Amino acid sequence: MRFLTCYKLVPEEQDIVITAEKTLTTSQAGDKISPFDLNAIEAAVQLAKDGDEVLAISVGGKALNNAKLRKDVLSRGPDALYLVTDEHLSSSLPYETARALAAASQKIGFDLLLCGEGSGDLYAQQTGLLVGAILNIPAINAVSHIEIKEGHVSVERTLEDEIEVLDVPLPAVICVSSDINEPRIPSMKAILGAGKKSVTQWSTADIGWESEAAHADLISVYAPEQTERKRIIIEGDGQDEIARLRDYLANALS
Amino acid sequence: MNKINKVWVFSDTTERYADLLSGARQLGEHVNAVIWDERDINEVRQADAIYLLGGKNDNQRIENYAKTLATLADEGQEQTLILLAATRRGKGLAAKLSVLLQAALINDVVLLDHHDNHLYAEHRMYGGLAFGQERINTRIAVITLAGGVYEPIAEANTSMPPLTLVDYIPTADEVLCRERRTKTANSVDLGKARRVIGVGRGLMAKDDLQMIWNLASALDAEVGCSRPIAEGEHWMERERYVGVSGVMLKSDIYLALGISGQIQHMVGGNGARTIIAVNKDKNAPIFQYADYGLVGDIYKVVPGLTELLKR
Repeated sequence: MRFLTCYKLVPEEQDIVITAEKTLTTSQAGDKISPFDLNAIEAAVQLAKDGDEVLAISVGGKALNNAKLRKDVLSRGPDALYLVTDEHLSSSLPYETARALAAASQKIGFDLLLCGEGSGDLYAQQTGLLVGAILNIPAINAVSHIEIKEGHVSVERTLEDEIEVLDVPLPAVICVSSDINEPRIPSMKAILGAGKKSVTQWSTADIGWESEAAHADLISVYAPEQTERKRIIIEGDGQDEIARLRDYLANALS
Repeated sequence: MNKINKVWVFSDTTERYADLLSGARQLGEHVNAVIWDERDINEVRQADAIYLLGGKNDNQRIENYAKTLATLADEGQEQTLILLAATRRGKGLAAKLSVLLQAALINDVVLLDHHDNHLYAEHRMYGGLAFGQERINTRIAVITLAGGVYEPIAEANTSMPPLTLVDYIPTADEVLCRERRTKTANSVDLGKARRVIGVGRGLMAKDDLQMIWNLASALDAEVGCSRPIAEGEHWMERERYVGVSGVMLKSDIYLALGISGQIQHMVGGNGARTIIAVNKDKNAPIFQYADYGLVGDIYKVVPGLTELLKR
């Protein structure tokens, strides 16, 4: 059985700077594998048995050339890596990304395609589902448990009000929830072994992808206004000061 | 603000029809409500027309109706909005609709605006650090709307809008439900707590959390933390982490103890009505975000405050 697991590189959100104009600067934020995609990679690696294959795939801009991040993905268990790089894909919205992932994954061939619940940057929560719809195969989101059966997978889907148990015929796309597993921390051996694994690099021409008129454009990104606060400050931690703090607290609660 | 010609509303949960229809009314000239359960008919009387989907049974799932709904909504050449509740089912259905209809899809929308013949939608990005605004270029737009964006309209139509029965169109990628299970009670949900205490790096040892829990018990509060406590030290579960990609508080008070107040944390606290901060460092950014602040040692303030509250 062949598992394909998708990932995206996103800026480290802890290092994003918010300017006085409420815009965002990501120039000091290094790239990382989107945390939700680590769940997808981990799920694939856990499901794979002897003779199965786990392939990781990403489509995007030149950030994908970062050798350290390639090793990072491969150190988490996938057997090989496929990358489609094109500057059009460096900031594409979900539909364009999904078309590229659909074309590339069809070229590779797979039984089960795994995605995270959304990306750490856009968190559009649709790319994996769109890939399934484009390929006209079942695509299920919010999956919190997967079992491999003969010709299908049995999955649990954690919804707001209940859990659905579904038998999904293969090939299929499964978008896992962030609580499906605890992504592993790669061992030293895995990190050293990652450099020896195969990386296939494609252009968009190799997968027959061309950019199309975008369904939507991201026209602005801004930080929300922080709520206005009173900023009443007490200096000191003696009994009187603590009592004053208690009074403010009691007031706020009434 | 000119209006969208036609808005289709569907929700997999009865409670959401009121706010979805209110939004649809503000944005659209003609509002069609789609229901799957005939008992929802009284919830959608504000629509101009009601469409009841056929073929409901215990194993059927609403996501399988993408073809049925796409066929229904794709009549004519008018500008069309399909407005769904931002539930997991809603998002599953929305993705299929967007591909079938070649329509832009935006999930978890918190603000919708229609002007210059374009629909604009905002949603959270970077784990809540920012909002992104997207302009939709397609004739049909699919939107899953977050709760609480529109106030429900109080008055209902006196007359019942016309009702149309819609046949289910089976599809090749149909997946039926084998079994449904009730969910076991959730663990902590800080997003719903009224009173929350947050701890940060000012806490020196894991054992000192006991002191925080004592205060929480005196205050009848839940306990959350900043990212280093959950992800660096693993002193608390990830569900208790307040901030970017974590919990967004809606509490009455947020008592931040030994938290420096980085913006990545504060976006999670921004929704609290009152923020109270204790920190040794007078220059800590947390005091910029606090209604009340005390410059001092949490190891003195926490036991002292606990004593005072117990009296």
